Amino acid sequence: MQLVVVKKLQRERIMGVTKEQVESALRSKLSPSHIEVIDTSGGCGASFKVEVVSEQFEGKRLLERHRMVNGALVEEMKDIHALSITKALTPDQWNKQQSQTSQPVA
Amino acid sequence: MARVLSNMLFKGFRSMEYTRATASASGSFLQHGMRFSTSVPNDPDTHDDFKPTNKLESSEITLKDIVEQDVKENHVMIYMKGDPEQPRCGFSSLAVRVLSEYRVPIGSRNILEDPELKNAVKAFSMWPTFPQIFINGEFIGGSDIILNMHQNGELKEKLKAKSSE
Repeated sequence: MQLVVVKKLQRERIMGVTKEQVESALRSKLSPSHIEVIDTSGGCGASFKVEVVSEQFEGKRLLERHRMVNGALVEEMKDIHALSITKALTPDQWNKQQSQTSQPVA
Repeated sequence: MARVLSNMLFKGFRSMEYTRATASASGSFLQHGMRFSTSVPNDPDTHDDFKPTNKLESSEITLKDIVEQDVKENHVMIYMKGDPEQPRCGFSSLAVRVLSEYRVPIGSRNILEDPELKNAVKAFSMWPTFPQIFINGEFIGGSDIILNMHQNGELKEKLKAKSSE
């Protein structure tokens, strides 16, 4: 059991996905108006945090949006250990959030 | 009558803070098994022979059936890395912390203990990562979604839906 875990870790280290790969996969499949990919793995490329703003999310529940992001990263997910989707917003929602954070309510 | 009794017994355990679903398969066995297994799995002194087992070669019950039964019988069901008492991953830990806020019984299974179950759950929900949370038999999502629903109040509503039954 322990050995399997170690082997898997080594494989991930060799096969590691880059931030750029994740970003380009999401760009090509979800044509986002805003995207941010953060490598949270500390360099081995197995753990990412993503924010995606896309018109394709319009009218879709959060679960479906996350499914779309997961679907766009099917290949990459094989080598990613952890993917955190911190934002999956429509452009409208994103603009609202941006104006809220930049103009604190008095 | 026996059914009523075993239901009462089952409910009794469900009211514990966490219900640990046993790995056993059939409904009646689950209810009987629960009685003996709830306190067992985390005990380091327990011999492997006495642990619930997932060996299903001799029965026709598939892992998918087990997952279906889990999510049907547990108002809140989480498939996670580790146990609610001892999560083995930050995301699983986060999901348990969020759910614990609502003080509802949580059924759980540790997918690290069973790679086959892990794959069965992934196929069932068509979701690639863990934890995975089900409420009222419905797949809710992973830790990002549960956190989001906690923050915007949706989780409260989802959990209420059942308790008013």
